[in-house]
Amino acid sequence: MIKSYKARRTVVNALIYVLLGGLGLIWVSPLVYLVMHSFRGGKAELATTIIPKEWTLDNYAKVFSPPDPNVVNFPQWFMNTFIIAIFSCIISTLAVLMVSYAFSRLRFKARKPLINVGMILGMFPGFMTMIAIYYLMKAMGLLAMPKVALIICYSAGAGLGYQISKGFFDTIPRALDEAATIDGATRNQIFWKIILPMSKPILVYTVLTSFIGPWTDFILAKIIVGAQGPEHYTVAIGLQKLVGLEYKSQHYREFLAGSVIVAVPITALFLFMQRYYVEGVTAGGVKG
Amino acid sequence: MKYIDYVQLNPFQKIWYNLKTFFIALPGNIVKICKAIGRFFKKLGLGIGKGVAGYFSRFVKGDWATKLSYIIMGFGNMMKGQIVKGLIFLATEVAFIAFMIFFGANKIYNLGFFSGGTIGFNGEDYWVDKDGVSIAISHGRPVAHVRADDSMQLLLYGVMTLIIIAVFLVIYFASVKSAYKVEQQVAAGEKPATFGQEMKAFADEKFHITLLSFPCLTISLFTIMPLIFMILIAFTNYTKSTPFFGWVGLQTFSEVFQTTGGANKGETFIELTKWTLLWAVCATVLNYILGMIVALLINKKGIKLKALWRTMFVITVAVPQFVSLLLMQQMLEGNEFGAINQLLKGLGWLASDGGTVQYIDFLGNANKWIPRLTVIVVNIWVGIPYTILITSGILMNIPADLYESATIDGAGPTRTFFSITLPYMLFVTTPYLITTFIGNINNFNVIYLLVGEQSSVDLHNAGYTDLLVTWLFRMSTSTGEYNTAAAVGILVFIVCATVSLLTFNLTKSAKNEEEFS
Amino acid sequence: MKKFLALLLAVLMLASILVACGGGGDKKTSDGGDASIDIEDGAKLLVWAPDKAIDLTKELCEAFKKEHSDKNITIDVQVQSESEAATQVLNDKDAAADVFGFASDQFNKLMTANALAPVFDPDDIIDRNSEASVKAATGSDGALYAFPETDDNGYFLVYDKSIISDEQAASFEGILEACRKAGKKFVMDAGNGYYSCIFIFTGGLTLEGTDAEGTQQFNSYDEEAVVDSLEAFANLFHDYSDVFLSSEVAKIPTGMAADPQIVAAGIDGTWDTNAIKEALGDNYGAAKLPTVKIKGEDKQMISLHGYKLIGVNAVSEYPNAAQALADFLTNEESQIKRAEGLGWGPSNTKAKEDKSVTDSPSISAALAQSENSVAQVNMSDTFWSPMATLGNTLWKDKDYSRDTIKANFQKTIASIKDE
Repeated sequence: MIKSYKARRTVVNALIYVLLGGLGLIWVSPLVYLVMHSFRGGKAELATTIIPKEWTLDNYAKVFSPPDPNVVNFPQWFMNTFIIAIFSCIISTLAVLMVSYAFSRLRFKARKPLINVGMILGMFPGFMTMIAIYYLMKAMGLLAMPKVALIICYSAGAGLGYQISKGFFDTIPRALDEAATIDGATRNQIFWKIILPMSKPILVYTVLTSFIGPWTDFILAKIIVGAQGPEHYTVAIGLQKLVGLEYKSQHYREFLAGSVIVAVPITALFLFMQRYYVEGVTAGGVKG
Repeated sequence: MKYIDYVQLNPFQKIWYNLKTFFIALPGNIVKICKAIGRFFKKLGLGIGKGVAGYFSRFVKGDWATKLSYIIMGFGNMMKGQIVKGLIFLATEVAFIAFMIFFGANKIYNLGFFSGGTIGFNGEDYWVDKDGVSIAISHGRPVAHVRADDSMQLLLYGVMTLIIIAVFLVIYFASVKSAYKVEQQVAAGEKPATFGQEMKAFADEKFHITLLSFPCLTISLFTIMPLIFMILIAFTNYTKSTPFFGWVGLQTFSEVFQTTGGANKGETFIELTKWTLLWAVCATVLNYILGMIVALLINKKGIKLKALWRTMFVITVAVPQFVSLLLMQQMLEGNEFGAINQLLKGLGWLASDGGTVQYIDFLGNANKWIPRLTVIVVNIWVGIPYTILITSGILMNIPADLYESATIDGAGPTRTFFSITLPYMLFVTTPYLITTFIGNINNFNVIYLLVGEQSSVDLHNAGYTDLLVTWLFRMSTSTGEYNTAAAVGILVFIVCATVSLLTFNLTKSAKNEEEFS
Repeated sequence: MKKFLALLLAVLMLASILVACGGGGDKKTSDGGDASIDIEDGAKLLVWAPDKAIDLTKELCEAFKKEHSDKNITIDVQVQSESEAATQVLNDKDAAADVFGFASDQFNKLMTANALAPVFDPDDIIDRNSEASVKAATGSDGALYAFPETDDNGYFLVYDKSIISDEQAASFEGILEACRKAGKKFVMDAGNGYYSCIFIFTGGLTLEGTDAEGTQQFNSYDEEAVVDSLEAFANLFHDYSDVFLSSEVAKIPTGMAADPQIVAAGIDGTWDTNAIKEALGDNYGAAKLPTVKIKGEDKQMISLHGYKLIGVNAVSEYPNAAQALADFLTNEESQIKRAEGLGWGPSNTKAKEDKSVTDSPSISAALAQSENSVAQVNMSDTFWSPMATLGNTLWKDKDYSRDTIKANFQKTIASIKDE
């Protein structure tokens, strides 16, 4: 009996390995395809076979030191995005922490109504307001400074993403605050000295998501810097341009190589921080 | 039904039971929601009434300094020694009046509420000759170009001015209240708080104001104001063809529901709403269940290399979607260039017709359901890693004794999944599910990056795979039907709000019934 | 004091925005000059040119500055693709360039929005450019609103000379047969309205601009003749389903460069010329579109053909300098330089005779095709997607009987007219 049970378990486990292996393969295959074809050589710009026949580093060379910077200027795009990402990450993280802390730990008359307003705002489709944002930026004279405009775009509404970190703060026992209050600490001090040091997972989660945002957005950025030259592009718009009609037949492999260059640091960052991400999101996102 | 009876049902009966209770409770829930909305307005009305009553009663009760504060803001505070505060109030009033005289009044007038119904007044763009007379250009040389009013800009300024007026009114009432309060304090023999003391409070009992004022400011400026603005656009006739427009009331909405003529907006709206809801349900439920199963497999006792398996899935989250999805679009192409078709051909799974291989057109809009199925499947690829991330931790927290007793009862893995895992997870992750559902209704990336802008003959500027949001996007970018896009945005909001209100109510009642732990 | 600071801050911020922009929202007039073009002293101009032409444009602008060195002109040249330029100008005239290149299909939109300044001295421009390109730059009021830059913004036949002989390339049937023999593909984007309109234009339908409501107008075409043409194409696509491939045009250079070669011929435009030349080398062939047999008669395929134009922003602060620069950028020498450096086919009648033009197969092909084309001007936005769908039904649908085709055609016309 025991033997057969054991045997059955081995069979089941073997099946699970096969299943996981197969599924895992399906999941990573587009990424493998991406990396493979970013090294593809030969005259054909687009893929004609699943596995490339010729291999080269030229695509990366072209991306790092563009032969014609008017068309492809990846290093510049990368720098632009990096600067935007750093600033909007700092502002967003501060805003999220401030809002979620206030909603989680402090009690005041406007709390409930404000939470409701936040929920309602989240239900409008984001793209609805993009034209209005363009006009607003224009009225403020920010279109001439596309980086500033984009930083504002990415971080201004960040406070609305408070739910997950509020959920996280809710799990920190209130007794801590009370004890500190008895010791004469102000709420300001409690926030900086007690709560913040305990919030590493949620801090990492917020930093991570707000840092990644500018690398992946291709809609707002397009509207804000669309009228500007390619020297103001972010990687997302720049790379998207390369798959447009006029460029695809000559720059598609540069798109693939550029995509790999963008994806690798983000992926590394993500895997490295994954533990915090999971902790943050499970603690904050999914309690009853 | 008691909980004990419920647990003994088989999974299908359970789903049926839940559905049944949902729909039986539906009318009641709708009534509840309506009542709640009614209560809200009642409270709001009462609040305003109380405020107004207080406003007048304070005027009657206050001393002369307080009375004067009704005209000269901050006067009462200054008289009672709160100089800085009083000066700030006064400065605000002066600034506001100056602003209204020099800019505000004109901006409000331009909104056209009091005249004409157009935003701005000059709708013509024309050239004039030396004498300032409008001329037609044939072979003559114009001297100057007179531009039509840019209604969009005027509307923006108008909205800003209205907001400033509203903000000023709030400050005004606060100042009046503050004057009265300080009078009372002095009358009671207390010393009014100094400016420094009041500032200190912002680090402690008023800390929430310190924390929230900056985010609230940016949110109102860059989220709420554009939103108000776009909601107003839905009531105008703004399209790309002219920068000059005016108010048309509900006409845009009636166009969205108009079903006459070929490829009309009404039928498109209905078709896309149906598909959006179907898509949101499929995307949410499939990703949730399948993702949880994968997470269970990875976390099963005795499975090694857990980190590797998890990484293989989770790594896809980190790659920007515009990369992975544009790539997938290439891979899914319906001819010999598409990698998937090449693979299927290599495996010999493609039908061939007289020597010609019949490639599968995964994303083409010639067929209604093939591309729809494709986007749902691709969305599983996108979504499962997220579910794994979210659920892994919780799955491990399910009390082990629940499983043990189920195994002793002889329950197989399927039954344990449906009778223990799923209900437990549902209980814990309902908020996540609701946000995911809303997120899927607004899921722009998967559809837009994968399918692009395809169109079908019987839809107005939309393809079969378009969701309401991608339709909205296409209308505001490619054809410039800004007013219709704004109206559709409002309708999407109504759909989202209804869904979340209903489900929220359901989960509230469900929670009480299904107490775990 | 409650919420006071936050509110005050908000008001100040809003107010400062309003004050800062108070002046900008009002009517703005820009003065034109007197009799002759009198370039403003110290004029500052912004020029938009597509990225591939940016260096050449900068060079030409320098030459212009040199010519008017007494005027102290500053010119800033920025990259903006020709397909995007109009959208950006319409989005925001103030932020847009003073002088910008755009594709002729955007002309109507720009003109009706009064975004283009009329050409101050049109006679010279009309004289020196091809009639068709001038027509593409003429507004509904009869005035000239832009400077013609090229005559070549269309597509033509490209083929591998080692597979398809020049005689075979003259007829569609010949091309398909040669491709079949070699086991290679013929590629065109039949699911894109820009190319699929060939099928109806060849049947005698042409565009007649748009009416006051923006509805697309057609000539009084013979419906049966159009259906004849559609049927002929549908039959060919199905008879040669092993050869005919409908796909994005970027697949043409790739398919020709692939090893083993997949594509032997296709319908593509000048934007892919370099890539195709690289793929085929000496075997590169380009010609006007072939003929197609309709009811036993060889009919020339008619394409949609556009022009590149240079426009002057109606709200430019330096209208005279802008006009002079646009004039300079489109004169004979500038157009020849473009033909040499970029392979763009000139609209200037004298430049057309230049050796750099007559020697280039792709420019010659584009110019030859322009004589068998419908001009891509005054088109309604509703044209493209129904047209694309019609193209797709011709090669995709299993049912391509005459009745179905006719019904689909009627549906397409109704959708284009938005009925």
